[in-house]
Amino acid sequence: MSTSTNSRHSRESATAVVGSPQSRRPRTKPFNWRRAGAWILVVTAVVVTVAPFLWMLRTALSSNHSLASNAGNLLPADFSWGAFQRVFGLQSPEQAIAEGGSGADINFWLYLRNSIIFATMTTAGQVFFSAMAAYAFSRLRWPGRNKVFAIFLATMMVPPIFTALPNFLMIKNLGLLNTFAGLALPFMFMTPFAIFFLRQFFLSMSREVEEAAMLDGAKHLRIFFQIVIPNAAAPLATLALLTFIGQWNEYFWPLLVGQDESVRVLTVGLGVFKSQSPQGAPDWSGLMAATLVAALPVLILFIAFGKKVVNSIGFSGIK
Amino acid sequence: MKKSIGTVAAAVTVAVAAALSLSACGGGSAPASSEAKGEINYWLWDANQLPAYQQCASDFTKANPNITVKITQRGWDDYWTTLTNGFVSGTAPDVFTDHLSKYPEFASKKQLLALDDAVAKDGVKLDSYNKGLADLWVGQDGKRYGLPKDWDTVGLFYNKAMTDSAGITAEQMAKLDWNPKDGGSYEKTIAHLTVDKNGKRGDEAGFDKNNVAVYGLGLAGSGSGQGQTEWSFLAATTGWTATDKNPWGTKFNYDDPKFQETIAWWAGLADKGYMPKLETTVGASVADNFGAGKAAINTSGDWMIGQYTGYKGIQTAFAPTPVGPSGKRASMFNGLADSIWAGTKNPAAATKWVEYLGSSACQDVVANKAVVFPAISASSDLAAKAFAAKGVDVSAFTQQVKDGTTFLFPIADKAAKVDGIMKPAMDAVLSGKKPASSLSDANNQVNNLFK
Repeated sequence: MSTSTNSRHSRESATAVVGSPQSRRPRTKPFNWRRAGAWILVVTAVVVTVAPFLWMLRTALSSNHSLASNAGNLLPADFSWGAFQRVFGLQSPEQAIAEGGSGADINFWLYLRNSIIFATMTTAGQVFFSAMAAYAFSRLRWPGRNKVFAIFLATMMVPPIFTALPNFLMIKNLGLLNTFAGLALPFMFMTPFAIFFLRQFFLSMSREVEEAAMLDGAKHLRIFFQIVIPNAAAPLATLALLTFIGQWNEYFWPLLVGQDESVRVLTVGLGVFKSQSPQGAPDWSGLMAATLVAALPVLILFIAFGKKVVNSIGFSGIK
Repeated sequence: MKKSIGTVAAAVTVAVAAALSLSACGGGSAPASSEAKGEINYWLWDANQLPAYQQCASDFTKANPNITVKITQRGWDDYWTTLTNGFVSGTAPDVFTDHLSKYPEFASKKQLLALDDAVAKDGVKLDSYNKGLADLWVGQDGKRYGLPKDWDTVGLFYNKAMTDSAGITAEQMAKLDWNPKDGGSYEKTIAHLTVDKNGKRGDEAGFDKNNVAVYGLGLAGSGSGQGQTEWSFLAATTGWTATDKNPWGTKFNYDDPKFQETIAWWAGLADKGYMPKLETTVGASVADNFGAGKAAINTSGDWMIGQYTGYKGIQTAFAPTPVGPSGKRASMFNGLADSIWAGTKNPAAATKWVEYLGSSACQDVVANKAVVFPAISASSDLAAKAFAAKGVDVSAFTQQVKDGTTFLFPIADKAAKVDGIMKPAMDAVLSGKKPASSLSDANNQVNNLFK
């Protein structure tokens, strides 16, 4: 779970390297202490953020039985692909146990599919509906607008644990346990943060364009779809990315609602690597291999959209 | 992150348990197993035993073609949360592996099916199980809520290379004695096996207790209110018992000086540098520390044999727990059982499956995999042979049963609440923040729960 937070930092620091001032300055500059200091800082930051990943990779490529006795070595202890084979279900339970793994059947591809469906459903829904709400809060004038928005913001202060049980009972009473709808519904329509985030951006859009469109006879629906949405592509992409990652890493709700194999997501599936019996040590290499593989989709998304995110944050004035 | 999920999980378990008591659907009695068919969901947490039970399931379906068994394995951390959650939402498994510390609460909330009728009608031989095991699963209301599947005892797991180089023989390890005053030969051995960064042993002059390379005794944690693998086998040799009667005691004895002396001695090992400090155990695995050569002796249960013998480059040997002031050794005797959820839609098939799990047909299969000791006496002997075939001498664990030196896991209602009081109290003593006498306070709190 915390892995992707790391990956986020590492991407940010990586972009920081790309955007560092060196490119703007002439090549024959004399040695600059400040610049050297900045470089050292950046390199340290990169090392600190990337090192955990290297350690995960090292652990994933080690044999479980040798890990404990080779704690200090940077290279894999007793190199083995076994952990990755376990993750992809290429090992028989007997073989897995012999390598210190879990005998459990990890249906990796199914869980991956479920994670993608769950995260995509919530992301698409949340971004779309939050954009509509943010439009109402920023571009429409209606009585009590700001008061309603304040109450809305106040709900950001409610810890999720308070809503977990009522939500669960509601989903249960709706008969949606063990369905994708049950998994996605509580997150699908909006979160106060998403609305707040988009509202800030929508507020900064110029009124003239909107008024011109109105003079041309456009109604709100048309303004929303043809003017606001295209203009807000960057913040929408940012929100989508953040939401997707958040949902990808969501553990507790899917654990409660998505117990059935057919809707079990990756994070919950990975839980079986973590603990098997009390006091038993986890299958570290299996856990690390699985976590690395599970983090890959998010990493790819970051590589694809990372720059857009940084731009939009700069653009919208939210820092 | 990990911690917050744990807290959240705990909070929701409590909330779900509260909802449970409101919506308690009526428990019933299991029917005798005739004309059973359909699919049965079965849960367990130990992945190491999964292949054995998978084998049992396919054998079972071969004998009963109308019934299929779907096995789900879940890690211990999530097992109980998802189970209680399943009780409420109606998605719990038909049959599941149950634990002594959990079933009293489930039974009192009417989530378990009583097995008495089935046992009587189908003629389950309760005397085939190791002595005492079947009785553990008779609830406070006199009804039977599980059929025993396995048992466990506790022993000393030690690093053979370390004892060899310290000049301690296996015979000596098997004959250690202990008392709460000076620790006896048990403490002497632990001290001798402790080595500091300069290579000085714990019983030599100039030993630096603040820079220890190898601890004589590993530490898993404070053991909360039971101390199954941590201190129960020591306290029991002083004549101490956790509760006034077992099972279903309502008065706890954490204020007994015999108990407090034991804990004071044990916590003292950390002061002397023979055992790691409590704070170093947070998030660490005591077994992995042993595997890394950082501890010479660990006290643990027989279900960990596979893990300890798996470490490459480490030869693990086993010795029984030390003989105490009573002149005997002691080990907590614990066992798991399979229980049927009261809400099962297929009680007949579930009963048949539970009876099969409790029969020698399945327990022999489990025995042959040499992972745990099955509950049926004859199957346990088979398991000991299977371990021997793997080169593991398990007499340290079986001896306790043969000699009758075991005592039963303390079963009482409100286990979760007792734990909620005892865990912080024991942690405080072990980390040196409070004296052992502070446990009297905790004991009052615990006893007040039953008033």
